[in-house]
Amino acid sequence: MEKALETEVAVIGGGITGAGILRDLALRGIRAILVEQGDLGHGTSTRNHGLLHSGCRYAVRDPEAAIESYHENLILKKTIPGSIEKTGGLFVKVPGDDDAYVDKWLASCHKLGIPVEEVPLSQVFREEPYLNKKAEAAYRVPDGAIDDFTLLIDVINDAVAHGAKTLTYHEVTEVLTEQDHVTGIHVRDRHSGEETDIHAQIVINAAGPWGMNIARMAGVPLKILNNKGMLVVFSHRFNKHVINRLRMPGDGDIFVPAHDVTIFGTTGKNTDDPNDFSLDRKEMEDMLAVGEALIPSIHRMRLIRAYSGSRPLYQKNGGHGSNGRDVTRGMALIDHGERDGLNGLITITGGKLTTFRLMAEKTVDLVCQKLDVHSPCRTREEVLPDRRVSDSFSKANLAPAARHKLMSWAGVRAPKFDAALQNEEGSQVVCECEQITWAEIETAIPNKGGFDLGDIRRRTRLGMGPCQGTFCNFRAAALAVEQGRADIKEANCALLGGITERQKGMGVVAIGETAKQLQMMQTLYQVSLGFKKEGNQHV
Amino acid sequence: MPDQMFDMTMLDDSYEKCLKCNACVASCPVTGATLDFGGPKHMGPELKRLVDNQQSIDDERIEFCTLCGNCDLSCPENVHISTLTAFAKALHTEKNGSNFRDFVLSNAELVGKMASAFAPVTNAAMKMKPMRKVMEKVMKIPEGRKFPKYRFKNFNLTFKNKVTGSKRKVAYFVGCYAMYNAPNVAESFVKVMNYNGIEVVKPRQKCCGVPMLANGRMKQARKNAKFNIESLLEYVRKGYDVVTTCTSCGLALKKEYLSIDGSPEAKELAAHVYDADEYLRMLYDHGEFNTHLAPIKHIVGYHAPCHMRAQGMGSPALDILELIPGFDIYDLGAGCCGQCGTFGFKKEKYAVSMKLGRTMAESVKNLDADYTVTECGMCKNQLDQLTDKEVRHPMQILAESYEHARHLQTV
Repeated sequence: MEKALETEVAVIGGGITGAGILRDLALRGIRAILVEQGDLGHGTSTRNHGLLHSGCRYAVRDPEAAIESYHENLILKKTIPGSIEKTGGLFVKVPGDDDAYVDKWLASCHKLGIPVEEVPLSQVFREEPYLNKKAEAAYRVPDGAIDDFTLLIDVINDAVAHGAKTLTYHEVTEVLTEQDHVTGIHVRDRHSGEETDIHAQIVINAAGPWGMNIARMAGVPLKILNNKGMLVVFSHRFNKHVINRLRMPGDGDIFVPAHDVTIFGTTGKNTDDPNDFSLDRKEMEDMLAVGEALIPSIHRMRLIRAYSGSRPLYQKNGGHGSNGRDVTRGMALIDHGERDGLNGLITITGGKLTTFRLMAEKTVDLVCQKLDVHSPCRTREEVLPDRRVSDSFSKANLAPAARHKLMSWAGVRAPKFDAALQNEEGSQVVCECEQITWAEIETAIPNKGGFDLGDIRRRTRLGMGPCQGTFCNFRAAALAVEQGRADIKEANCALLGGITERQKGMGVVAIGETAKQLQMMQTLYQVSLGFKKEGNQHV
Repeated sequence: MPDQMFDMTMLDDSYEKCLKCNACVASCPVTGATLDFGGPKHMGPELKRLVDNQQSIDDERIEFCTLCGNCDLSCPENVHISTLTAFAKALHTEKNGSNFRDFVLSNAELVGKMASAFAPVTNAAMKMKPMRKVMEKVMKIPEGRKFPKYRFKNFNLTFKNKVTGSKRKVAYFVGCYAMYNAPNVAESFVKVMNYNGIEVVKPRQKCCGVPMLANGRMKQARKNAKFNIESLLEYVRKGYDVVTTCTSCGLALKKEYLSIDGSPEAKELAAHVYDADEYLRMLYDHGEFNTHLAPIKHIVGYHAPCHMRAQGMGSPALDILELIPGFDIYDLGAGCCGQCGTFGFKKEKYAVSMKLGRTMAESVKNLDADYTVTECGMCKNQLDQLTDKEVRHPMQILAESYEHARHLQTV
């Protein structure tokens, strides 16, 4: 039997754009349901650099995106303290980089009002010991690091706390229309196969790289350029600041510190398929060769994995032949009623992680206008609960490293963790690389069905360290069965899926230690644990 | 100079190679005996990765690391695990200071000088129950723990450098134990060398620093390392080989100085350092070893000290002692003795120390040999505590065999 849900706004896409919109709607008292085909942020929103732009990168080429980024940078630092690390950033000029660009860049940053300060090189080398000693100039900018995983979860949780609803693993199969306006969407639960109508006055397409699929269902034209970028993860955090190359933006010129690793990227290659997360060895090697200019020892440092995600860039004219770098990083808000005569459908695309809040504000302003609601945006001031806690977990029998991690991670869940940590299982460190206890993992397992190690990873960092889940994926699955949180079949399936996904990211960087790590992982799973080769055992 | 000591970024990045395989955890004697220690993988490479270039994390469980070096031996990736744990200890001590007991225990040299000066009194005092009760209460040194005896006629007082102009020349790094507690070992070593026609001199030297490292007193250990490197190198450059009779001192000179000092001089010195048995084995391989050894018909158990094994040189003591006709020696194969230098003198570690020593004690009991041989004075201390067999150093046996042979010849 078909169910039906009733709401004011249906948001398609559980990335950071959709999440931001859902929260903004909820804070303005508008009823909304968010629909996501997979797990929250499985696409672009957890497949990026985690960079909080200061705007400097776009100062010369795209001043509009630059100023937007800078303003949002200031707002997010205030309102989302728990997911942002104020690392500061450096723009570094190395030999061969264009002097004229530096002058233009400085002038533009000055004009835009973005604070840039030259730092003596001796000081920079002290702060960043791995930086190229031949660097010619360095400037401090207000860049930062964003934890895109916690950000997304916290934004969604806040929306839900304010009355919004989310449906993950629900795929949109139809956009419901009546004459010249949309009436809702038809969705299918990917776990149970159950189908549901969601009736809504307004449907927002925030599906990112999948946005064109939604437009097609609604029968409206939309051209999004899916520009796939590749990133690599180093096994430890070797830089204190975000390190940018001071030149016209290109491939392989940003190093971002993220918790205990450094993320380096990126590339840009257009792809037609939004599900294309492929990784190319040559592309990575080219990128590393460029990165050497900033970090000369780059080839001696251990890489633990690579990943890719697509930027959904909006092309007004739908022109071909663009390489992606020259398309604006600005956002595109499309009122399909106005543009295509289909009322009630809005597409929001383009933009950046840094500007997600502004994208949501503009989208919801339009929604308010359409619904005739007079409620101002509150996300400029409303602060999300912090992730950092103090004076907790002192009673738990925990390794100081695990306690240290929890103190910057637990947030509003602290009392819950504290209770769970009192028993022996709870305080067991399951993932050693990232120091994650069973208490944290248990909280991330959904109450009914859908035991998925990827979903747990996005909520806890399980398996994101150098061993890439060699040990912890198995431990987590086994404990879940032991504790009655998953059945054996489910756990086996999750384990195979989790390991296969980790191996994909390791395979492309598998030289030196990571090649050995991969071999060890394969041997453990195939020989010791008797898993068949990829695919054979999948249910 | 800023505190370079904790800036390990450039000093040791071997932690990057860790595959998390747990070989070190499986081979760690302490991890096998107690859950109070976080294990070498976590306390070494794992923790280092989490703090490198970031805020430091002090984990007091590092006190349970004995720096035995079994982790280093087991690591398939050659991660310098015990170097990393030594630095974790230094960080812990830096943050919390060292208590009086650990300060005293780590100053083996100073204690040796003082205790041997009043040797009869010190030795008697250490056997007095009320005295030990007070020590347990005030200093947290367990009442039941035996201490090595101190000798009034320490090696410093009795030995005079004698230059004979032999082809091979030895600069002897005596170590605190042979200097103050077992001068007989040092004297035996000099005899053995003389029987091989090799002159022995004693360069100026300080405690090798191992007890300081074990108690997190990195600065002092580095100071001593610097002193010893300078003093010993002077001899090395004059053609001397540096030889030790203590396997912990040997490990320090060969390996620890490379990581805590790290200078080219440390490297130069390390290439010329030998354990005494290793040195004799080298002579044997070159056909220079005096094989005129009188038979000793004894059944003997051999205990291999962790710091001997950590030098990665096989079992030179067994190789050499087996050359004595009739000498029947068996490797006890019992792993770590549990004394672990200063570790076993601490009240809160005493139970673990005793537990660790059990395998060795049983092994000694089962073999029921005439006596036990080991190179390490601290292993001897634990053997004295847990077994009723006499414990001897290989040099003492060799010296006896040589002397006996000469006696037979002259008669």
